[in-house]
Amino acid sequence: MSEAINLGSIDDIDEGEAKVVSGAENGTGEDIAVFHAEDGNFYALDDNCTHETASLADGWIEGTEVECPVHSAKFCLKSGAALCMPATIAARTHKVVVEDGEVLLYPNTSAVPASA
Amino acid sequence: MALESVIVVGGGMAGFTTVKDLRARGFEGTLTIVDPEGLPYDRPPLSKDYLLGTRTGEQIQLADASWFEEQNVQVITGKAVALRPDEGMVILESGRELSADKIVLATGGAARRLDIPGGDLESVLELRNRADADNLRSLLRPGVHLAIIGAGLIGAETASSALAFDAEVTLIDPVEPPLVPAVGLALAERLHHMHGARGIKVVTGVPLAISADEAAHRIEMDSGEAITADLVLVGIGIVPETALAASAGLDIDNGTLVDDHQRTSHPNVYAVGDSSRTRQPDGTLLRRAEHWEHAMHTGSTAAAALLGQDLPVHGASWFWSDRHGVHVEGVGSMLGDGIIVVREKDGVPVASFRLAADGTMAGCAAIDGGLTVRAARRIIDRGIRVDPVLLADPGVDLKKLAR
Repeated sequence: MSEAINLGSIDDIDEGEAKVVSGAENGTGEDIAVFHAEDGNFYALDDNCTHETASLADGWIEGTEVECPVHSAKFCLKSGAALCMPATIAARTHKVVVEDGEVLLYPNTSAVPASA
Repeated sequence: MALESVIVVGGGMAGFTTVKDLRARGFEGTLTIVDPEGLPYDRPPLSKDYLLGTRTGEQIQLADASWFEEQNVQVITGKAVALRPDEGMVILESGRELSADKIVLATGGAARRLDIPGGDLESVLELRNRADADNLRSLLRPGVHLAIIGAGLIGAETASSALAFDAEVTLIDPVEPPLVPAVGLALAERLHHMHGARGIKVVTGVPLAISADEAAHRIEMDSGEAITADLVLVGIGIVPETALAASAGLDIDNGTLVDDHQRTSHPNVYAVGDSSRTRQPDGTLLRRAEHWEHAMHTGSTAAAALLGQDLPVHGASWFWSDRHGVHVEGVGSMLGDGIIVVREKDGVPVASFRLAADGTMAGCAAIDGGLTVRAARRIIDRGIRVDPVLLADPGVDLKKLAR
């Protein structure tokens, strides 16, 4: 598993909001969006929409989904699955853990456990 | 009898969504798409990224070839020329006959030609499919003069894209500013002004005739002015492609008539997307929609209806446009009674809202306001009453009003 990046207190990202961790900072080269979903949990996806260029962190976060702010493609924050057109490709997930009130992002570590 | 096979004629957004949703909803029977252009692709990029060459043909496909294999969907490259609905038969230009339990017509439309002398000239360009975009791209080069008739979405977007080729662009529309019904006056003016600010020559007027010789095209305007241009592109909407429906004797009135299940007047045939038009139970006809999202929604509805499942509920209609580096979106309708509220930021209009007499929102449009439009869509769909003062205040987060 990759090194965790400490994003600070859970209070730094309001529920229904997201924060971008730049590709340089997270080491993957791709920006990662860390979402504070309405179920209270934190999730992370590659920030760029899989359809065209758009920041999912700027999208509409509702429940455990995010809707792209440009063409309204929806993604599941838990699995990255593309839930509607125009996206047909899933967004890559990254593992997020909350420890002692702090948000830890594991870039390049899938949030979805590999199936047995 | 359970549905065993479906043929979808047309691989645009509506046809592709029908196929995709049939599989997503559990249909395991034989599924075929027939389209002269082969694998389904997305059309909005044709006036933008695809025209510019920044996205390839492969990159605008709605799904790659492997998806169709995995989903066991047969894609036949060919043109359907006739239907025999009683037999569920589709006849291709090649003479090949295909049959299925149900046929879905997703035939889209052809670019509408100008009904003036010279409107039918072969050299007058249109932008409807990939070949049109390839052709236009091959003709655009520094200094070439492109006159575009019609400053709606395709015309405005193509004008903007053509500047990237250092082409000289003239944009002609009878209305000034265009798009008021779609985005309201304030945003329409702001958008229209961008054309001139970027060096496009904007002409308000009606073309009366187009002529061409080896050197150039000449557009005679109602003002008496003549516009000379190397290339002429017409973007004034579409004519629905209903020839197949006609060959089957289906009811047609500026579109193949369908009910709320996308069923045509023949029980074996459904129609979706631009070529379909809804006839309500009392016989009244809805306005035929020509938008990407409508194509997707009607495809989803047809898939559910074909399988006898509950029909999906679609909210307020939505569209977008990209030009001159800005992203425009609209939801619901800006056209109708009520009051218009304009939100300005630093004196520049960024969003417009239409409130109905009862205080609910009926429409919203915004420039670079993705979250505003997404909030407005929920406010409209949920029937929430909103305070016009808050709507006008750029400091108020619309998302909070949507809760």
